[in-house]
Amino acid sequence: MDNFFLLMEGFATAMQPIYLLFALGGVLVGTAVGVLPGIGPAMTVALLMPITYSLEPTAAIIVFAGIYYGGMYGGSTTSILLNTPGESSSIVTALEGNKMAKAGRGAAALATAAVGSFVAGTIATVLLSFVAPYVAAFAVQIGPVEYVALMVVAFLTVGALLGSSVLRGLASLGLGLFIALVGFDALTAQQRYTFGSPFLADGIDVVLVAVALFAVGEALYVASRLRHGPIKIIPVTGGWTSWLRKEDLRRSWKPWLRGTLIGFPVGTIPAGGADVATFLSYASERKLAKGEHKQQFGKGAIEGVAGPEAANNAAAAGVLVPLLTLGIPTTATAAMMLVAFQRYQIPVGPQLFESNSTLVWALIASLYVGNLMLLVLNLPLVGIWVKILQIPRPYLYAGILVFAVLGAFSVNFTPIDVIILLIVGILGFFMRRYGYPIAPMVVGLILGPIFESQLRRSLAISQGDPVALVQSPVAATIYVVLVVIFALSLLLKRRQRQFEAMVAANGDAADVVRGTAAVPGADAAVVTPADPHNREDTDR
Amino acid sequence: MSTIVVGYVPNALGEATVSQAVEEARRREAELVVINTTRADRLVNPAYADDEDVSKLDALLRATGVPFSVRHSISEATAAEEVVDTAEELGAELIVIGLRHRTPVGKLIMGSTAQTILLSARCNVLAVKLP
Amino acid sequence: MSTSVQNTGSGTAAPGKPVGELVFALIIVSIGVLGFVAGAGIQTPPSASDIGPRAFPFAVSALLLVVGAGLVFQVLRGHRGAADEGEDVDLDAKTDWLTVGKLAGFVLLHAFLIVPLGWPLAAALLFFGAAWSLGARPWWRNLITAVVLALVLQFVFAGLLGVSLPPGFLERFGVFGG
Repeated sequence: MDNFFLLMEGFATAMQPIYLLFALGGVLVGTAVGVLPGIGPAMTVALLMPITYSLEPTAAIIVFAGIYYGGMYGGSTTSILLNTPGESSSIVTALEGNKMAKAGRGAAALATAAVGSFVAGTIATVLLSFVAPYVAAFAVQIGPVEYVALMVVAFLTVGALLGSSVLRGLASLGLGLFIALVGFDALTAQQRYTFGSPFLADGIDVVLVAVALFAVGEALYVASRLRHGPIKIIPVTGGWTSWLRKEDLRRSWKPWLRGTLIGFPVGTIPAGGADVATFLSYASERKLAKGEHKQQFGKGAIEGVAGPEAANNAAAAGVLVPLLTLGIPTTATAAMMLVAFQRYQIPVGPQLFESNSTLVWALIASLYVGNLMLLVLNLPLVGIWVKILQIPRPYLYAGILVFAVLGAFSVNFTPIDVIILLIVGILGFFMRRYGYPIAPMVVGLILGPIFESQLRRSLAISQGDPVALVQSPVAATIYVVLVVIFALSLLLKRRQRQFEAMVAANGDAADVVRGTAAVPGADAAVVTPADPHNREDTDR
Repeated sequence: MSTIVVGYVPNALGEATVSQAVEEARRREAELVVINTTRADRLVNPAYADDEDVSKLDALLRATGVPFSVRHSISEATAAEEVVDTAEELGAELIVIGLRHRTPVGKLIMGSTAQTILLSARCNVLAVKLP
Repeated sequence: MSTSVQNTGSGTAAPGKPVGELVFALIIVSIGVLGFVAGAGIQTPPSASDIGPRAFPFAVSALLLVVGAGLVFQVLRGHRGAADEGEDVDLDAKTDWLTVGKLAGFVLLHAFLIVPLGWPLAAALLFFGAAWSLGARPWWRNLITAVVLALVLQFVFAGLLGVSLPPGFLERFGVFGG
């Protein structure tokens, strides 16, 4: 019951009024950016990194955890009301949720998503509280050889599996590793790739690169292909009573639990993240539905919202297991949270749970709190989230740029960092343009230096014999697991692609999967075809 | 035949505006030109009518028997410019718009389409308020 | 929102000829080459008991070289990368280089103005310029938003959180930090 005691202590920290306030701020910002187009939780954490210069670690980590969970909730709101999934993990929700909203059941879809997220988030956080200490206990025993193996797993899965193309993912990873090399070598104090420039001698700051890739790259990319044309929002009608009727609840609770059970394990292994979990949950709900309910799939089945949303949030908690116990980030947002730890000189790695247990348990406790806050806040605030969607794009992206230069400048308070920000941002722009995923680069950038020092330590122990890297039984097991994960992921990806192709073939749902917004005249929410009579469409 | 330009938004105020405009059109024996436009610069714009709204508006206007046309477009110009420019282009004798209640602060932050139209229109402007 | 919406292969490729994509793949190759050339200059202390500071850079350079070459080959064979999707991205739109250039220009200008003008003024100018480039209208609303946002950020980050942003002309007012 030692862990239970530590968790209670975590609650004691997280429930202090000031931390509750930080958690509230975090979940509000998180939900807002989850709703907003163009901003994801990873970018938000990167943009808000300057707060780590003045807040103490616990407060900052609680804010970032709130952003992390809030982003998940916000994403589902947009996909239900707008039919444009904010994140890839919300695509499946858009499939059924938007159909429900069109049929006037938007409130129920939002409610089942929110309650499902809460149920899944809470159960998954409980699982996290139980599983994490055991993984951590195992983690502190492993040596550099095993740690190297774990990082190889992280590199290869994030690099090869996150994007659509294996080579592009690995190229992105390589670029991240390369940028991480710039500066002094930690072991021998030799300058590497500094080209004699004093600005490069200290290396290029991780925050700078992350902000450049996530924020500047995204803003430039969106600017290059700005969408014109608004999307019709589907108004949510009906009072509190229509939100979750008995019938809805009866149909939802099993998908919530199943989604949780699917999502959490998928989140813990680096096998493609939350979108794989949502897809798996959707597919299984579709298969398990019977009779009349099965007919509703594709036309607004509540199970198709409840399951994937639960899986999404459970996976988000699952991602925290390798992050907190092993120091291995498997998603872009997790990578940014790792950067936040590094800002505070908190050693990231297997010792994190042990050496900073107060902080970690406060973080876990704040996840419970944040989840509850999100449930209470999210539904009544739908009106505000909808207002946020009306911010004109020029202001939105101009604001992102201003936050980005603020973050870059406050790294070292030198304008040269803003110029480096721009250069790396342009790199990010071209990466997006040519289909290179961003996350592997950030993961490579963060884990690269740790990987190198562990690798060199292992080889120093074995006196340069590389065979030692695979001789340890634990390391060998990890490599075998890597192969299994790869095979499994490739299989899942193929299934997912087939599934998406099938949905696309259904015709009207195609716009959901491709995330295409409405063109005027072919609006997403059109129910009856317009009467062309007496009307001048003057699209200029 | 003279022309009346109407600024329309798909809500209760928009409907009130249109029905006032219909009355004016009957009195003046004028043709109605109903405008709904967006700059398409944001993800969601509730002031922009979708096809369903437009067909409803169509049916509503047809029932009144007043000659009319609807201009439903995406435009680089702001809604205020679109209304004023159209009125000038058609030599309209009246512009009819809806007027929302706004706090002074709200006006400062968001500006006001109605105010711009009132100030820059060359013809008379009828501002309709919700009853 | 979407930094994370990845195209799963069904989407449209970047329009236009793959010249840009080829150049990008070649840049990756050349970074690999540069890694080897510059890596050869890294001093290795003779006493080093491990593999030294040169091995890992070489490994990364080799990765970039091999993967880059593979990408060049892929692009030449007609396999194109699928451009990132997003809510605000119209994949069928032509690339608007002018707007991208304007935005990059305003960020660059901002970098040179922070010190002489102070952060709030430079940031307001960046916001105004960026929003203008992206088509914000009317201009006075843009201006008001830019000034208010810059002042609020200066107040929150420099005044409240103690991040030392140069306040420029606001130096006289203590609440904006310094």
